[in-house]
Amino acid sequence: MFQRVGIAVAALVAIAVVFLVVRAVIDRVTGRDTSDRPPPWRDINVLHWAAQIVALALIVLLADWLWTNFRDRTDAIGLVLNFDFLSQPSGVSIADNALSPNAPIRDAIAQGVKNTFLIILLGIPLSVILGTIIGISRLSTNWLLRKLATVYVEFFRNIPVLLVIVFAWGAVFLRFPSSAGQTAERAWRPLNGWFIFSNGRFAFPSIVGLDKFSTYRVIIVVAIIVAIAVLIWRTSVFNNTGHPHHRVRYAFSSFLAISIISFFALGAPFEMSKPDVVERIWVGGFRMQMPYVAIMLALAIYTASHVSEIVRGSILSVHKGQVEAAQALALSGFQRYRYVVLPQAFRVAFPPLINQFLNYSKNTSLAVAIGFAEATSIVFNLFGQSQPAPQLLLILMLVYLAFSLLLSLFGNFVNGRLQIVGR
Amino acid sequence: MKMNTKLLRLMAVLTVFALVGVACNTDAETTEESVATTDATDEVTLNQSGGRLQTVIDRGTLNCGVNDTLPGFGFIDADGDNVGFDVDFCKVIAAAVLGDAEAVAYTALDSGQRFPALQSGEIDVLIRNTTWTASRDGSEQANFMPTTFYDGQDFMVRADSPIQSIDDMQNASICVLQATSTLLNLNAVFGDRGISFTPVEFTSNDELQPAFVAEQCEVWTTDASGLASFAATLDIDTRILGNVISKEPLGPVVADGDTEWAQVVKWATLATFQAEEFGITQGNVDSFADTDNTNIRIFLGLPIEVKDTDGNVTGEEVKDLGLGLPADFAQNIVGQVGNYGDIYQRHLAPLGLARGPNAMWSEGGLIYSPPFR
Repeated sequence: MFQRVGIAVAALVAIAVVFLVVRAVIDRVTGRDTSDRPPPWRDINVLHWAAQIVALALIVLLADWLWTNFRDRTDAIGLVLNFDFLSQPSGVSIADNALSPNAPIRDAIAQGVKNTFLIILLGIPLSVILGTIIGISRLSTNWLLRKLATVYVEFFRNIPVLLVIVFAWGAVFLRFPSSAGQTAERAWRPLNGWFIFSNGRFAFPSIVGLDKFSTYRVIIVVAIIVAIAVLIWRTSVFNNTGHPHHRVRYAFSSFLAISIISFFALGAPFEMSKPDVVERIWVGGFRMQMPYVAIMLALAIYTASHVSEIVRGSILSVHKGQVEAAQALALSGFQRYRYVVLPQAFRVAFPPLINQFLNYSKNTSLAVAIGFAEATSIVFNLFGQSQPAPQLLLILMLVYLAFSLLLSLFGNFVNGRLQIVGR
Repeated sequence: MKMNTKLLRLMAVLTVFALVGVACNTDAETTEESVATTDATDEVTLNQSGGRLQTVIDRGTLNCGVNDTLPGFGFIDADGDNVGFDVDFCKVIAAAVLGDAEAVAYTALDSGQRFPALQSGEIDVLIRNTTWTASRDGSEQANFMPTTFYDGQDFMVRADSPIQSIDDMQNASICVLQATSTLLNLNAVFGDRGISFTPVEFTSNDELQPAFVAEQCEVWTTDASGLASFAATLDIDTRILGNVISKEPLGPVVADGDTEWAQVVKWATLATFQAEEFGITQGNVDSFADTDNTNIRIFLGLPIEVKDTDGNVTGEEVKDLGLGLPADFAQNIVGQVGNYGDIYQRHLAPLGLARGPNAMWSEGGLIYSPPFR
């Protein structure tokens, strides 16, 4: 270490000397007047550069020290720092997943990333919707609603998210009836068995394509395009003539009309598949692990408490004059929120909301506490099988970095669209 | 402008001082590191291959990795102390090396942490119901010591479960700990029989037990001894199937590369077997001080007669076995902790575990020690 510092100091001195020499040469060559220039140690231009270079040297020294320390320790314990281990068999089995324990480690990690993505995909919209509702409730004129929302927010915001997750799993979802037995007799089957809830898995009906299903899918896409076209047409009618556009009604009904007519025309191209349990195998329907629901809902509830505060703050930031003007125009409460307050509030609320999205995606790593096989769980499982930790941790960090960057990218794009131009 | 230049100058001077300060602070510890790295790689391996015995003696405490969630083997009792069969073997090694069975610092580890902790040197020895397998010996940089408990993997179900044997477990959900030989055995045995199952993996028994009680899984599989100890503590009625599907030899583990330390741990463990064979228990060890049996005298580190070539006694000396342990290490072990039978009786007999394969070799079991001479 000492020699490295010595090298750094020598390099800095050499740079200083070279700079002074070069500057003197340039002065001589260009004949510049240097009479009122202060000496280098008092010359602000020189010192600016000197400070930057010294700071850079310190950072490089620190990084070098950390890296050599790391390499010394990994060499001492014989840890190999390459990524060849990724093709070894993982020994990891994930419930309800076709992944074999003999599949390579990179496949196991990919499945974990997929599970993390599934938590984020459904959880963030849920938390935003729930948070917005609670945030608006906190500003309600109804005393009970206001108090309930306040209790909700103050409770969930002030306890650690891990507690919420463990409680949701251990006290709520684990208490569901068991799926033991050949036909999961004790599981809860509401709606005459179209849904099955147990403490390990749950299932709900899904769409199973029959004959001509692919044609039907194409027709659905066409119906969506037609609906969008109708939307645009009605908007332009409204813009030109001022007649109420009712564009959602028009678009939605045209979509429905096309889908239903083509459904019957093609002779029922899909059916609903009812889930069932036969000899302990869950068939039909769409099956998911219950811990997934636990982590997604727990995180949604927790994040919603933060989102509600952001939403409440953003609503309060809308100028009081706007609210009074809306009331003077005899807009109903809903219309006031929908057309005046919320559009302006949303603009303000969105940047902190992006922050909450990032928090949500990183908090999914706590699913390791309830045994759901998302990315962090699988990497910790691999640690336990003595796979090299530095590389695995690096991969895990890159996964979460990727999620965060994607969410930020999306957020900034929406934010850019929300900006008021030329204000 | 003047203030700015002054500030800049001050800053530049301070950063130079900081540079020098960093160098001085890290000088003390990094000179040793630079010695380790700038010399040839022999230096680094020397650090690894020797010195743990001396390190433990200098430290005065043994760092032992144990379980804290397995009644009978490694558990925390009502007073907050570590107790158990494996914990007693930590005390055995401490008594042998340091002369004091209580000079142990226990580190509770779960199944995923145990080998990394051993490899990093955080613990000196791992005594945590760890199965001796070829792949662990080879690729986990672990060195397995004599087996102290011969176990096998078994299954436990609720008393009212319709499952009677492995063949009834088609597609059943089975609770198992991550990073254990248990899961590997399940995959192997069930795969051979063509029985598919749903594994429900957990990182520790603290998470597994509530899940089993809540019936998230129908079957709990782990070593038979573990099942016996859990069955005793669970509130629900359970049934152990008795379908032993594997060999699970459990014993202490040390890290590869230190033969001196491995030797110490090995012979300290074997001393408990030998003591039971000789009939030396914690209660009667003092009465052996004047025994005539030469083998026992050597074992306990008592002075034996030295005879010259004519058979005349010329004096007495204590035989040094060259293990790196003090001569009376066996006395300390048996006096402070007990022989193998004492340890078994204290922790495993209350769980109802019969000696079975863990009886002395003279009684048809597998507990056998090479001679101490």
